Formats: sequence, structure tokens, C-alpha cells
Amino acid sequence: MNQRKTRIIAGLAALAFAATAEAGPIIDWDPIYFYGPASSTFNNQPLGNPLAGVGTVSDFNAPFDFLDASDPTKEYTIVISGLTSLGTGTIGAPGLQFYSTNYSGGTIQIYEDLTPDHDYGVNPPNATAPSTFADGTLLLSGVFTRFVVQTNDFTQFQVGNAEGDINWNGGSLIDLTVTGGAPCPGLFTGGLTWRPVGDVLIPGYLFRHDGKIDLNCPVPAETSSWGKVKAQYR
Amino acid sequence: MKKKAIAFLLGMFALNAGFTPAAGAAQLLFDYVGYDYESPDPNPNQFGEVGSGYVSLGEVPVLYAPLVFNTVANQYTYVISGLTAINQQVVGPFIIVDYAGGALDVYEDDRTLGTDYDFGVNPPNATAPPTFVDGTHFLGGALTNFRFVFNTIDNSGSFEANYQVVGGSQLDNVDVTRRTGWTFAGVTSNEINMPEGYAHQVDGQVLVEQVVPAKDKSWGALKANYR
Repeated sequence: MNQRKTRIIAGLAALAFAATAEAGPIIDWDPIYFYGPASSTFNNQPLGNPLAGVGTVSDFNAPFDFLDASDPTKEYTIVISGLTSLGTGTIGAPGLQFYSTNYSGGTIQIYEDLTPDHDYGVNPPNATAPSTFADGTLLLSGVFTRFVVQTNDFTQFQVGNAEGDINWNGGSLIDLTVTGGAPCPGLFTGGLTWRPVGDVLIPGYLFRHDGKIDLNCPVPAETSSWGKVKAQYR
Repeated sequence: MKKKAIAFLLGMFALNAGFTPAAGAAQLLFDYVGYDYESPDPNPNQFGEVGSGYVSLGEVPVLYAPLVFNTVANQYTYVISGLTAINQQVVGPFIIVDYAGGALDVYEDDRTLGTDYDFGVNPPNATAPPTFVDGTHFLGGALTNFRFVFNTIDNSGSFEANYQVVGGSQLDNVDVTRRTGWTFAGVTSNEINMPEGYAHQVDGQVLVEQVVPAKDKSWGALKANYR
């Protein structure tokens, strides 16, 4: 009886969160530069250390495809702040080692600025970063409910990834993140590098992140009777 | 005397660095977003098993000079193909897969006269890869040392590879000293709208770096600099 109940609950959950046919990122960037205190390194972001980031949007897709990221009269910027390290975990032996750092908290904002002026500067936070990224009209804001940075000591180009989940909570375009009356969480994904060669990194920044945000919209639940649902698991 | 010796050693390091092509400022060439799958796939229950092939395809939404492009009139798509898994290592929840071979090709297709790309489901299928490889072969890239890293617990990871521009209609627009670079991408299985049959969502970019040519110099000429 308990097993049957579990299956029914699992089935209902699957029904509620089944995928839609829609796909594709709503926002793409190259890049976001992340920064933290000097004690944060690619393989150790100590417990309690903050992580922040600034970047520019390079492309919009539906439902934000009416925005043109290549319009030279505007700039679309991203500001990430308030992420707090829960400590870096290490797996594997040197030469084949992975470093995973989970973060708590954190917010993300996306701005439209009619006076393009973003400037990363060096050794952030500085006189222009994040201030020249956090100006203009706030299009979207959200809070991270999960954020992880994964790095290693063996990739040729010093490559890892950062990923998180976002609950949207504000901004002039927040209504576009709602489908069928249900809010669509954001999925923040992408690769990152800490390679210092070739000006890939700006001095004082920790990571360069190439990524995007998808809307993970649940499909509206389908009306069904208990009898029909239970029949699927018998 | 001590100063001379240090200066000589520094000179030696500088000279040594010159023997291998040095990387200049990196230049972003294009950004790509899509999905990946395995073909052939000897063991459908496993990703990256030796002998499996890695394929990724999708859109190229952003391109940069010196490429000459028109994203209003054309659709740009990419295909990563020709990769065969030759080694797989497991470290805790992580897998590391190394591949042999590989190409990263970009195609330009007229938005009016061409065919829109379509991922379909369970690739390869009738539209993927065909709707991603139609139009003009815009930029051909050779990949080497392709390495895929993935955390099987949180279902995300990355890949990287050496990249070299080798063909396509844009070949001549890319200076010969700027045809070598690298690519990296983030991958995830956490997108709930991923079309059925694909393994991961992919978001990557290609950077090229100016190769600084080495200069031939005799021992005598080098030592003379420090006398």
C-alpha cells in the first residue's frame, strides 16, 4: 500500500513538472566575470567568502526576443551578488582533482541602460564595477536557490562550470517569466575558465563564465481522476 | 657577477618561451548553444563509454569580427562531430572522457530560402543533423584533445578542446596568425525542456589566440646581450 502511494505521488510530480516542447535560452552572455576576495582561488573558495559577478548580455530569445542585445545605443548588463561560499570540497588525487563549491544566498539582476558605459576595470569591486553594470532600468531580478562552482587541476585550458537555479522576484519584465499562471524558475548554466593566458581573464577577476539562462517552465497539470492516475502504476 | 648570472638565466627562460609559439591576446570568434548526443552509442545506459561517438549541434547566436556575417538575413548553426571516446576515468561522482578526432563546423543558411534548424527527438533523426549542416559551410574547425568532464550527481560539467580554423567560406578572413585557439563549454542535464533523446544542453564559445612566432638566435648573440 505504501509503495503504491509512493508511486502515485511520484507520478503526480512527474505529471506536474513534465517538459514542454519549448527550448532555448532566454538570455545568453559572453562573458560574466566573477570576483571574490583575494583568499578565493580557483581551487579554494573558503567558507563564508562572497562571490559576485558582472557581465553583458549578448543575445535574447523568446520571450525576451524583442530586446536587441546588439543595439549600440543600449547595453544589457548582469549583476550577481551576495553568494556566500559553503566551503570547497576536494575529490581525487592531485593531478586528477575536482573542486566543488556550493554557495548559499545570492541575487541576480539584469538591467537595460540607455547610456552604455559598462567598465570592468581591474581588481573589483572598483570605481566602475559593479556600479556601471547596476544602472538603468531593472528588467529582471531573482534569488539563487542553488549555486555551484566546479573546477579541477587537470584540464588543459583550466575549464570548469558554474550552475544555479533562480526564483524570479522582480523587474519590469517579470511577467514574462510566468507561463500559464505558473512561475518559471531560471536555470543558470555555462562553462567557466580561470586561464590567465591571452587576456582571457581581467586582472583581479577570478573566473570568466560563458553561459545563459533557461526558463524551466513546468507544463500545466492535466486534469485526471484518481482512478486513472492509480491505473498507470498497477 | 651574481646579477649577470640572474640576468642570463632570465634570458634563458625568455628564449625558451620563444621556442614554443606564445599565445597573444585571446579573441572571441563565436558563441554556440545547443544539445549533444552519442552516435554511435554502444551502451545506451552509459555516457562516454569507449567507442561511443560524441555529437553536438545547435545555433550560433553570436559571431565576432573578423568573421563577416549577417544574423538578420542568415541563420548560423554548428555541428561538433567526428569524436570517438578513447578513454574514460571515474573519480568519485565525476567522469572524464577523452576523445580522438573531432571537428567544429559552422554553417550559414538563408533565413528566407533556407530551412530552419529543428532538433527533433531521439537524434540522429530526419532533421538533426540535416537541418544544421545545410547552407554554406561558413567556418571549418579541427578539434584535438577534446575532453569532457561531468558530475553525475549534480548533472553538470564542461568540455574543452584545442581548435584550429581549417576551412569554410570565412577561412581567408581569419589571419593565418590567428587560426589557432581553443573552445570550452558548459553542459547540463538539468534543463527540463531538453528535447527527448538528447543527453545534455551545451553552451560554448571559441577563442583564437595570436601566435607569436619564435625568433632564431645563436648562443653567442644571446650571451652578448648580458656582457
